[in-house]
Amino acid sequence: MASRSSAVLHPRVFRSVGRSLLLTLPMALWSLLMFTPSLRQSRRDVTIGSAIVIAFMTTLFYLMVRTGNTYRWRRCFFVALGFLFPIGFISALIAVRGTMSIPIERMVSGDTPFCFMVTPMLVIPAAFTRTIIFPGSILPTSSNPHSIAVMIGLWLAMTLVLGKAWCSYGCFFGGIEEGFAAVRKRAKIRRTVDKFAPRLRLIPWALLIVVVALSAALMEPIYCMWLCPFKTVTEYPAVHSVETAIQMGIFIVLFAGLVVVLPYLTKKRTQCAFFCPFGAFQSIFNKINPFEIRIDREKCVDCTLCQTTCPTMALSKESIREGKTLMNCMKCGACVDSCNKDAAVWHLKGTRVGLHPERARLLFLYGAWAMATMFGGSILANSLATMIRFLPKIHSMLLK
Amino acid sequence: MTTVTDNSSLPHYTARSMAIHSLSAFAGEALALGLATGPVCLASCGPVVLPWMLVQPRGLRTHSTQLSLFLAARLAGYLLFAAAVWTAGSAIPHAWVGRSWLLGGTQLLLAGALFVYAAGFPHPRCARSASAAPLVHIGDSPHPRRSGAATLGFLTGINLCPPFLVAGVRAALLATLPSALIYFAFFFIGTSVWFAPFLSLSVVRRTPSLVTVARMVAVLLACWYGVSGALILMEKVVYG
Repeated sequence: MASRSSAVLHPRVFRSVGRSLLLTLPMALWSLLMFTPSLRQSRRDVTIGSAIVIAFMTTLFYLMVRTGNTYRWRRCFFVALGFLFPIGFISALIAVRGTMSIPIERMVSGDTPFCFMVTPMLVIPAAFTRTIIFPGSILPTSSNPHSIAVMIGLWLAMTLVLGKAWCSYGCFFGGIEEGFAAVRKRAKIRRTVDKFAPRLRLIPWALLIVVVALSAALMEPIYCMWLCPFKTVTEYPAVHSVETAIQMGIFIVLFAGLVVVLPYLTKKRTQCAFFCPFGAFQSIFNKINPFEIRIDREKCVDCTLCQTTCPTMALSKESIREGKTLMNCMKCGACVDSCNKDAAVWHLKGTRVGLHPERARLLFLYGAWAMATMFGGSILANSLATMIRFLPKIHSMLLK
Repeated sequence: MTTVTDNSSLPHYTARSMAIHSLSAFAGEALALGLATGPVCLASCGPVVLPWMLVQPRGLRTHSTQLSLFLAARLAGYLLFAAAVWTAGSAIPHAWVGRSWLLGGTQLLLAGALFVYAAGFPHPRCARSASAAPLVHIGDSPHPRRSGAATLGFLTGINLCPPFLVAGVRAALLATLPSALIYFAFFFIGTSVWFAPFLSLSVVRRTPSLVTVARMVAVLLACWYGVSGALILMEKVVYG
């Protein structure tokens, strides 16, 4: 039996090369379609970056189809996304502003790129006062293409189809902690996390209630102002007072604790599982999309390997007995890949559990990977282009 | 942080829209406080409502009427209390130099009260509130009158359990009496959500997750008020 403490992968029967290539063809065409405008550009860095991403995404999809494993190959993409996103984003900020902090005049002119984490905080103020409490522009502009309407539209479409899979295939923040969670072979802290998981899982819901209510009360996105760990690696309000200094301190402490140290020690995505209010908001949509992971009770031997492997603690003994995952399942596929008895299966709602699980997986993967290529792929291409652009400069600086 | 609106709406940012803006602000805060402290209201009022509802004739309509009466009377009690605490609060002049100290101190007290509530649910003090044991027996009558629900609602509405005091001190510092009344009205709505399951005989009491979430909300709100109060006091110390 495989080790219980690492993200184990149960060996499966490989699909034939020809069949795998045939099934990968639609995704290869999709990638080409997505990056055709970039490939046609005269800038060499952009063309090279896009070509690498097309090859990377298509190869990973091929490997998912051929091996039958989802988690390992998805993680390759997701960690790359998590670590490359700040590189592209920060370099763009420094090139435009000369700093990572947001000057007040930029906020007023609506030049702040929209972050989907704000979405639940916008609802009440928008409904009552027709005010968007985010310093961005509603429609795309030449200086800020990542406008509020575009980002919310994209997120909503993806979430309705894929549910909380956004957190495993689209969120550029989750990849960072998944990367740190993958460093250790075995979890250093496991029992404590298991013991407190039922309560810790409720924190995102409490945080969601608080940030939504306080944002409505104070007419500002409280989570972004006070609690977002990822401000540390993206952008933050300029430190000019005791208050902003405290805010910056909170960002750094939360990032270090929840995104670096705890994932490293527990091998879990602790920020996603025990903190992120947007994740709780996403969980609601998990109820209304067609894809889910189920436990086939006829095959399950209650070994709880799936529970141990799940990076977001989305399984409990009770839920396994009921043959379901919890509401916060991100559909990363770790439980399915680790199950030795093939009891954890991909499932299409409305069909019998265990009926053609591979078809359900492929159907889900086409949607999820299309989203990953379109959204995450463009971020990867942009970051790679930035790296290619700066590489010769760094090289010459080192030579001097 | 600056709030940015669609530019086309800026010229229409009149007194009316400002009033709606401030209403939303009160509503959000009061609603959050009500939702967070709802379980302690249940602990306080539950012993009264549960037997009362149990002795009512079966049927959703009867139970809805009784619960509505109870909640309406409870709202009356809330508003009466709001008017009283605001009158006491307005005695302090706006120009008074110590107002920042009072505001900061109040927010810290508020944080402390929320911590106490979150740590010790159900709080022992609730047992000594106006809705405690003796009133439970009102519901034992075989032919209960509608006024019974109203009486119970009003008395539970003016009881002094910790979350109610928390809302009280906040309302006392608001600028106008209508603001205080609106604050308590939304606080009432927040707490009343927790009473809805009484229609199916207390579903909430059987769901520990909901109570845990509410306690966590209380702790987070306590942290918020704590930091907010401390910042007010720090600014007072630094800038005078």
